[in-house]
Amino acid sequence: MSITIIGILTIVLLFVLFLMGLEIGISMALAGFIGFAAIVNVKAAFSLVANDVFTVFSSYGFTVIPLFVLMGQLGASAGIARNLYNSAYKFIGHIPGGLAIGTVMAGTAFKAICGSTTATTATFATIAVPEMDRYGYDKRLSCGIVATVGTLGAILPPSVVLIIYGILTETSIGRLFLAGIIPGLLVAFSFAITLFIWCKINPKLGPKGEKSTWRERFASLPPVIWVIIIFVIVVGGIMEGFFTPTEAGSVGTLAVLILVAGKKDINLKGFIKSVMDSLRIACMVFILLAGATILGHFFAVTRTPYTVAEWLTTLPVNRNVIMIIIIVVYLIGGSFIEDLAFLILATPIFLPIAVKLGYDPIWFGIIVCVTCMIGIIIPPIALNVFLVSGITKTPIGIVYKGTFPYLVGMSICLLILLFFPQISLWLPGLLMK
Amino acid sequence: MGRGVTTINWVSRFMYWIAGAALLCIILITVSDIILRRFRTGIVGTYEIVGFLGAIVVGFSIPQSFLDKAHVIMDSVTKALPQRLQKGFILLTRFLGIAMFGIIGWNLFVMGNELWRSGEGSPTLHWPVYPIAYSLGLCCFVECLVLICELSQELKRSEA
Repeated sequence: MSITIIGILTIVLLFVLFLMGLEIGISMALAGFIGFAAIVNVKAAFSLVANDVFTVFSSYGFTVIPLFVLMGQLGASAGIARNLYNSAYKFIGHIPGGLAIGTVMAGTAFKAICGSTTATTATFATIAVPEMDRYGYDKRLSCGIVATVGTLGAILPPSVVLIIYGILTETSIGRLFLAGIIPGLLVAFSFAITLFIWCKINPKLGPKGEKSTWRERFASLPPVIWVIIIFVIVVGGIMEGFFTPTEAGSVGTLAVLILVAGKKDINLKGFIKSVMDSLRIACMVFILLAGATILGHFFAVTRTPYTVAEWLTTLPVNRNVIMIIIIVVYLIGGSFIEDLAFLILATPIFLPIAVKLGYDPIWFGIIVCVTCMIGIIIPPIALNVFLVSGITKTPIGIVYKGTFPYLVGMSICLLILLFFPQISLWLPGLLMK
Repeated sequence: MGRGVTTINWVSRFMYWIAGAALLCIILITVSDIILRRFRTGIVGTYEIVGFLGAIVVGFSIPQSFLDKAHVIMDSVTKALPQRLQKGFILLTRFLGIAMFGIIGWNLFVMGNELWRSGEGSPTLHWPVYPIAYSLGLCCFVECLVLICELSQELKRSEA
């Protein structure tokens, strides 16, 4: 049997395993193992799986993942998000749709210490939706914005998605973090604009809240300042070369822990829960990474990524068209498989194409992350929508309807980032020469 | 079987606590190293220690994370199938999981044996690497037991 046929059969097997309901990480490992055994030999495949699992699990670089996840979980458990929300609410709660725009502001600020999309979504579904319910906000608007704002975790530093992309592609995590700031803020701005327009068209959707005094507003600011300080230490430390990303994760986690413990915002039970939740998320990511590494080695033997790259780059079309095809593949793939899993699976295949087309790997990472953000809220597999629906006991259809207006803004942002790469690359170019 | 399930759950929970402790150790060691580096006396071999602890963090979390159903699956297709077919797929996927973790665990032990025989150590501290391979192999075998318990419970439910 030729290598090409084995390659195709292995990909078919992989999707059959996915459809059967086998864990995605195990599916990738099993398909990669069988394919590798068929091409090389069984003994080499046995050695490959052990080596890859050992290498991924004991890698110093990968330890950054549980650390940043723990940092976010601690922030979520200790009520930092609630404080940020209160602050944003005091500043703009009195304008139509102000509570929802406040959710965007608080969500954006919370991203400075929390790299997890699910942790942000779950936290704001608990805090912001009941508050918006109290003021008679339409469920589509309140649940939609909470499901959408969580996606910012995929791009604003310290994003776990960016960290994984950086490790997979061996690009600088510091540069990726910096590159994610302006696009992340741009997307957050698009959410606020969408809300503003939506509430302007139909003011009943987001009635005004109470107006706060300037004294109350300034009194609510200290938690925001603490978050900014921690963010500057973490990202600035990586940028200036004081820390490796793993060290920054440790320092950030310890800083958040000291902050919340000092203010007695977390008890031992909450702390243990945060650690245990982080382990669960980190383990899920590592199983995906180990599976993708095994499958990646199989692909390397078949030379599939290079063949696909060769074929795509010789197509008689503009390179932007090829990039749009890649984005569509990510969107479709991410709609059926969980987005992070698809990113881990597909990036080693598509990055060589992007590089061959002359695109910057850092910029490609940002494009992939924004695509992931869209994928997180589009059907059929929309993790954030399921999460908000479960927590707020709102029908999934209503949450989906609430997310659709933001998709327009996100798609426009994606196109802007696609055609103006300097938006992503300006900050890392300026600060990390 | 009930006792076996309880024991496996207990072992998984115990391993999870070890993983949590290892994660906190990573933070302590890394931060201590950063502080001590300011005084030009950083902890020698931090890179290796953190790598080893990282393996414990992930490896020892595997059984409990599977018990908690924390892993990504694509069940939209199987959910739409009749109950009997759904059960069939659950049994098959558990069986494939056991096979995969069995293969990985066994070969991690083989790898551990080779590392032990060769006396290979970490680059700076020269700590033996084989205990990490054995530990990860052990985690895979515990995971096999978790999946066997799930398989047997599923079979019992099918009979009932």
